[in-house]
Amino acid sequence: MGELTRVEFTNLDKILYPDNGIKKSQIIEYYIKIAPRMLNYLQDRAVVTKRFPDGIQEEGFYEKDAPKEKPSWIQTFPRYSKTTKKTINYIVCNSLDALLWLANIAAIEINVMLSRIYSYENPELVLFDLDPEPPADFANAVEVALLLREVLEDIGLKSYVKTSGKKGLHVVIPVYPKYTFKQTRVFAYSIGRYLAKKSDLVVSELKQSKDPGKVFIDYLQNSLGKTMICPYSLRATKYAPVSTPLEWKELKKTLRPEKLNIFNVPKRKKDPWEGILKENQKLEVN
Amino acid sequence: MGREEEKTPTPRKAIWSGNISIGLVNVPVKLYPMIKEHAFSFKLLHKENGHPLKYKRICSKDEKEVSWSEIVKGYEVGKNEFVVFEKDELEAIKPESDKKIHIDKFIDFLSVDPVYFDKSYILAPDKNEEAYSLLLTALQRLGKAGVGKITLRTKEYPALVYEYKGALILTTLRYPYEVVDPRGIEELKELKEPNPEEVDLAIKIIENLSGEFDITGYKDSFKEKIEELIEKKMKGEKVVVEKPKKEEVKELMVALKETIKQLEKK
Repeated sequence: MGELTRVEFTNLDKILYPDNGIKKSQIIEYYIKIAPRMLNYLQDRAVVTKRFPDGIQEEGFYEKDAPKEKPSWIQTFPRYSKTTKKTINYIVCNSLDALLWLANIAAIEINVMLSRIYSYENPELVLFDLDPEPPADFANAVEVALLLREVLEDIGLKSYVKTSGKKGLHVVIPVYPKYTFKQTRVFAYSIGRYLAKKSDLVVSELKQSKDPGKVFIDYLQNSLGKTMICPYSLRATKYAPVSTPLEWKELKKTLRPEKLNIFNVPKRKKDPWEGILKENQKLEVN
Repeated sequence: MGREEEKTPTPRKAIWSGNISIGLVNVPVKLYPMIKEHAFSFKLLHKENGHPLKYKRICSKDEKEVSWSEIVKGYEVGKNEFVVFEKDELEAIKPESDKKIHIDKFIDFLSVDPVYFDKSYILAPDKNEEAYSLLLTALQRLGKAGVGKITLRTKEYPALVYEYKGALILTTLRYPYEVVDPRGIEELKELKEPNPEEVDLAIKIIENLSGEFDITGYKDSFKEKIEELIEKKMKGEKVVVEKPKKEEVKELMVALKETIKQLEKK
């Protein structure tokens, strides 16, 4: 591949999604095609990957610290962890080559932090992770997301939605990086509580997150060092679904998240989240 | 060594002549090979001087060369245990080619499982063209095939005789004991039922890819590359050894070029 990329691709024939026969070459091809959109969301953010070198039928493992075999041209962000008492060198995926290198080491799921490395303690995104607990399903998550959008709109905030790629939805609001994680967390939590009062379907407390038939509005991801699945990352489940940014008008109860997958997401015409990173908002209600 | 259109091979000379025998009726025919193997075979040469290598038969005990007159055939019945046959013994039990293709009955050609097909030969009329033409036309009208047996060299084969492109074709068949029964394959014994939704999806994919059978769309790329190299070598061109890029790497490069172009625009 020489002049096109610094990445030396290996084991391209290896099947990583055995149920669908998807090979590593197809995963790399996906990330090549989606890179122009996905790199926007990776820019200057620490990533945590989940790698599946032997395919998704195996456990896979989370990787925070950049592996030793990392090439020198991959950017990292060192951060001392008080809990583990060592420095973690987070990968910062700022280039096409870095993304392809991750794809080649079977880092199928790529998670990003809600803050950027130069304002690490001040998030730029507030995340509402809508997690339906069976028998509640994706359609119920859609219902709650639409409700959440309305509530946010009422207080003058523009929100964006994406599928998690699994059974849930992520609603985010871009904000100025001037709040602490504690502030964004409290904000998300209070919105969740308000919705829980309004709708029987919604629960807002962690201890209720496994209540059957409810949709939990998870606010806890709004914490220093926590991550969310990056927009356009593949998920390591059957059909190779993608965490896909959507237009609000696309969000219907009949939508099937697994139909937004490795094969058809690159064909989507435009990125519904385009511009989100320039639309920072204030959380103070006027 | 034409590289343009792939030509079908031209007929070679007849390798057998005899009669198709149906009851008391005989149709005299000649047998032409229909299949021309296209695998490349290389001769082994001595690198130093380019001369072909010669094989010697060496006794595994004393490492000495053994002449043909001192050789017998052995059938291995156990490890290093042989039953020995002299040349005349084998000669005596060889099936006589009686110069006949014995047809026992006529069947629907499509009822034969293709797994039994072995080699095909063209049957051409030998003097008596009327009888040949009659059989050909009748088989063509009915879409039937004669099934029977033929002895070629020293082996007796079950065979089919049928019409194809205005000729009678003989296809030898495999014996049932030469064809493995798939039911004996371990992996097939506990096959899971697929879920109906996935079956529907698979059926859709297959329907989308359905078309007419067209064998001309398939090329042996190894053969083409060897031919190209032979041509170059014959012209005295220097051949650079280059490991071919796999198809999927090429695809990735195409996608990569497109992405790089898009990123540059930003």
